[in-house]
Amino acid sequence: MTRAAVPVIGVLDDIAVERAKTGDLDALERVYRSYEGLVYSMARRICRSEEDAEDVLQETFLEVCRSIRRFRGDGPGSLTAWVKRIAASKALMRVRREKYRDADDLPEDGAAIGVNDVDVPLQLDLEAALMQLPETSRMVVWLHDVEGYTHEDIAEMMGKTVSFSKSQLARAHTRLRGWLGGEH
Amino acid sequence: MRKHCTMSELLAVRDGEGSAWARAHLEECPFCQQEMDMLYGRVAALRALPAHRPPRDRWAAIKAQAVRDRRTTVVRRSAFGALAAAAAIAVLVGIRGIGVVGPTPASGQTELETLMAQSRQLETTLQTYDPAGRVLNARAAGVIADLEDRIALVDAGISQMTARNGSRDDLISLWRDRVDLMDALVNAHVTRAAYVGF
Repeated sequence: MTRAAVPVIGVLDDIAVERAKTGDLDALERVYRSYEGLVYSMARRICRSEEDAEDVLQETFLEVCRSIRRFRGDGPGSLTAWVKRIAASKALMRVRREKYRDADDLPEDGAAIGVNDVDVPLQLDLEAALMQLPETSRMVVWLHDVEGYTHEDIAEMMGKTVSFSKSQLARAHTRLRGWLGGEH
Repeated sequence: MRKHCTMSELLAVRDGEGSAWARAHLEECPFCQQEMDMLYGRVAALRALPAHRPPRDRWAAIKAQAVRDRRTTVVRRSAFGALAAAAAIAVLVGIRGIGVVGPTPASGQTELETLMAQSRQLETTLQTYDPAGRVLNARAAGVIADLEDRIALVDAGISQMTARNGSRDDLISLWRDRVDLMDALVNAHVTRAAYVGF
């Protein structure tokens, strides 16, 4: 499956990364330019507002500037994973801090699909439907189904159990399915 | 008896964790097969959502804060080192003055003072290499970062030891560690300076 949502990452060679580790500000800016779209996009999907996503972007790269000298990964793939992990943690902290609406009001996922689903399909587009989900559910569905984190990773980041992550994912899909029907 | 899979069961089957019942049911139920297809389609659509771009360039603010953080760290380290040294001296004088733990053996006192003087000398030497002003190669950067982290830990240990009037032997041991690490740090910078032709 192709991922059109992945922003284009500029060329970031090993030398630039090593210079960034020494605190070289030009090299750090290159790291920022390479990942700002990726981080902002993830934050924008998880947080409710544009302003929160911007704050997550800034907090993420401040952390990158502070910690990159301890980054021990090898190659651009591991740097991407490292930056994304920081961004996900910052987004989660932001969601917690803002005390957004909780996922508790979602129905339990006990019923068979389509049988007792009382949601009237609203024919929302996917973007709008995603934003209608409570933060916790939206975060789990995005991190698991789009970013590829395991339930174990998500549970660790959220300080919850694996069952909680799985339950949130099922709830999110139940709700999305109700809103979107068979159309995406 | 249930008729169809729940969403949790569909997700479990998709992720390779489905129960035998759910997998068997999915094989023969067109309705659940359609639901599974919709699930795959929904995830594909999520992955295909267009990327967002930040509305404003935040680099200037990040850079300014990073520079402030760096200055604060340097000042804090310098102040911390001076404070730890002063506190250690004060403890020594106090111990000798009030005789809480009896007479301090001259050898221990001398050793501690010698280690602290060596540490100061190494700090001075380090400054001559202008460690903040040069580009490092990858290996040197890693070695130096590790040494600086370990020195910071030792400094914290000295501070704690001093604050709770810990044993002189432990304090000497920490200062010895600090001198060894500072020595290694200076050597790392010297090696790097020689490597780049300075």
